[in-house]
Amino acid sequence: MRPDRSARSLRSGFLESARRDPAAIAVEVAGQALSYGELFERAASVAATLVRHDARKPDDDPTERPPLTAVFGQRSTAVVAGILGALLRGDGYVPLNPGFPTDRTRSMLQRSGCRAVVVDEQGAKQLREVLDGMPPGLVLLLPDAEDVSELASDLPTHVVLGARDLEPSADWTPGPVDPDAIAYLLFTSGSTGQPKGVMVAHRNVNAFLTAMAERYAVRPEDRFSQTFELTFDLSVFDLFLAWECGARVCIPTQAQKMLPAKYVQESGITIWFSVPSTAVLMSRLRMLKPGSYPGLRLSLFCGEALPAEIVERWAEAAPAATIENLYGPTELTIACTLYRWDPARSPSECELGLVPIGEPYPGMDVLVVDESLAPVAEGETGELLMTGPQLTPGYWRDPERTARAYVRPPGEARIFYRTGDRVRRGSAGAPMVYLGRLDNQIKVQGYRVELGEIEAAAREEAGVEVAIAVGWPLTPAGADSTVVFLSDAGIDVADVQKALKARLPAYMAPREVRHVDRFPLNSNGKVDRKALVALLEAKG
Amino acid sequence: MDEKKIREELRIWILERSGATPDRLARDDQPILDEGLLTSLDVVEFILFIESLRDEEVDIEAIEPEVFNSIDTLVEAFFADSPTACEARS
Repeated sequence: MRPDRSARSLRSGFLESARRDPAAIAVEVAGQALSYGELFERAASVAATLVRHDARKPDDDPTERPPLTAVFGQRSTAVVAGILGALLRGDGYVPLNPGFPTDRTRSMLQRSGCRAVVVDEQGAKQLREVLDGMPPGLVLLLPDAEDVSELASDLPTHVVLGARDLEPSADWTPGPVDPDAIAYLLFTSGSTGQPKGVMVAHRNVNAFLTAMAERYAVRPEDRFSQTFELTFDLSVFDLFLAWECGARVCIPTQAQKMLPAKYVQESGITIWFSVPSTAVLMSRLRMLKPGSYPGLRLSLFCGEALPAEIVERWAEAAPAATIENLYGPTELTIACTLYRWDPARSPSECELGLVPIGEPYPGMDVLVVDESLAPVAEGETGELLMTGPQLTPGYWRDPERTARAYVRPPGEARIFYRTGDRVRRGSAGAPMVYLGRLDNQIKVQGYRVELGEIEAAAREEAGVEVAIAVGWPLTPAGADSTVVFLSDAGIDVADVQKALKARLPAYMAPREVRHVDRFPLNSNGKVDRKALVALLEAKG
Repeated sequence: MDEKKIREELRIWILERSGATPDRLARDDQPILDEGLLTSLDVVEFILFIESLRDEEVDIEAIEPEVFNSIDTLVEAFFADSPTACEARS
C-alpha cells in the first residue's frame, strides 16, 4: 500500500532526505558541494531571517502581501538556499533571472507582489536598476554577501541584509503548508506582450514528483544534470526529484554550460534532462560520438518537439541510457505525458520525424477536441486538453485569461486546460503524436515564445502598427531564433533590433529586424507568415 | 590574420550578438560569460565563427569551459598555435 502523500509539500522530500542522511551531497554548484545538512542549515537560516524581518500579520490582506518570496540569481548556493528558504518559511518562490532585461524582471517582481527577495552576487549587480521606482519597504537578503553597507546606502528605502544579519538556523520552526498554496509562481511568455504568471500548487507538484519518483526509481547515488534556468519549470524536476530521493544535483556554471559534454563526463551525471535543442547543439559540436556517455542511465527530453534523428544519435552516445520524451506545459506542472524510446519499435511510430509524446501520467486524463471542444473521433487530429492532479489553479491575478484557458468542455464535470497543441491519438494503442501549435507560439531552443509578445515589443519600439515575427532559422524542434519584419519606410531597423535586445530575454530577441516593402497576404487577407519564412529561405 | 585583428573580430561578433554597448567589452580581460555577453544559446555559432577565423576545426574535447571567460582566454586557447597569429607576434 502506498503511503499517503497528499499532505506533502514541495519541501517535504528535501527535509526527509536531510533527516535520513545529512552528510550526503545535495548539490554541487560553482565548484562547491553542499551536503543535505549544510544546505538545510543555510535554508533554515534564510527562512528564519525572512520571518524576522518580513513578518506577516494574520490580518494582512493576501492580495497586498501574498505568501511568496522572490529569488533573484542563478547557479549559486545563495539561490538554492533562497528557494528552499522560501519554502521552509511556508512561502512559494518566484524565480527572477539576472539574464533577463531589468525592465522585465522589475515587472515580474512588481506583479508578483513579493515583499522579500533573496539575492545572489549576480542579482546584486542589477538590484539598483531593478528596484528603480519600486515601492519602499522590500526586504532584500543577500545571504552570501559579507558587506552590504554600500548597497544599503544606495537603497535607503528598503531593508538590505547580508550574511552578518542571518538568524541562526535553530530559530526556524516548521509550520504547516496548505497543499493548495502556491509552491512556485513562474512567468511565461504571453501573447499580449505581458508575461503570464502560472501558479503551481504544492498538490500539483507533489503529484508530479510522486509519479516521477516511482517511475525512475531514483537512487541516492544518482547525479542529476541541471541544464535549465530557474525561470524554466523543468528546473523543478532536477532539484526536487533529486532531493526527494536523496540524490545530488550538479548545477553547471555558465562556462560549463558552453561545453555540456565535458560537464556530463566530469560531473558523473547519471540522469540527464534537457530540451532537445541542447542535444542538437551537442550533435553540431561533434559531442555525440558513440559511447561518449557510458555513465548515463536515464536521458529525458522535454520542452519542444523531439526529432527522432537526434534520439538515434543520443542512443549511440549514451548506450546504457533509457531515453524518454516528456511533454507538458507549465500549466500542467512540468510534464504530463511521456514516451519511452524503443529502437526497434519507435522509428515506425514517429510522425514528421518527431518522437511521439506518448501517454498521460498516472491520474491525468486526456481529451482531443475540435473547435467546439467536442471530442474528435479516434485517430483524428484535434487540440489536446488535459486534467488531473497536475492541473494548476490558473494565472496569477488574471481571471480572464484563466477562464479562457481553463475550461469545462460540454458534457464534462471537470475543468481541463487547453494546451493549444495539435495532437492525434492513434487507434489500437498507438501513442499520441504532437503535430504543432494552434497559435503563434513557438519554441526557440526549447523556450516557449509567443511571437505576439515579440511583435508587441517591436511595434512599440518602432512606433508602427504592424510588426511580424517568425521563427528563424527553423529546426526540426522549432527555431534557433526569430526574425522581425517591418514594412514602414524610414525606420532604422538596427535601432529597433538594439532596443529589442535590451528589452527581451536573449532567447526572444530577434536575430534580425528586416524591412519589406509590403507584407505578403494570404487568401484570408492575413499576413502570410509562410511567405515571409520563404523569403528568408530564398535569401539564405 | 594577425592577433590584433582576431581580437577585434571576436569583440565585434560578441557585441553584435549580445546587442551590448562597446563599453561592456572595452578590455580584453573583461568577463564575457559573467556579464551575459555570451550564453550557451550562442555556442554553436560562436564555435563555427572561431573555426572560420582559424580556418580549421576546433578540437572540442581538448578545450576547457574556462576558455570562454574573456577575449584573452579565447585568443590563448584557440589562436595561440595559429600559424598566422604566431607570425604576427614574431
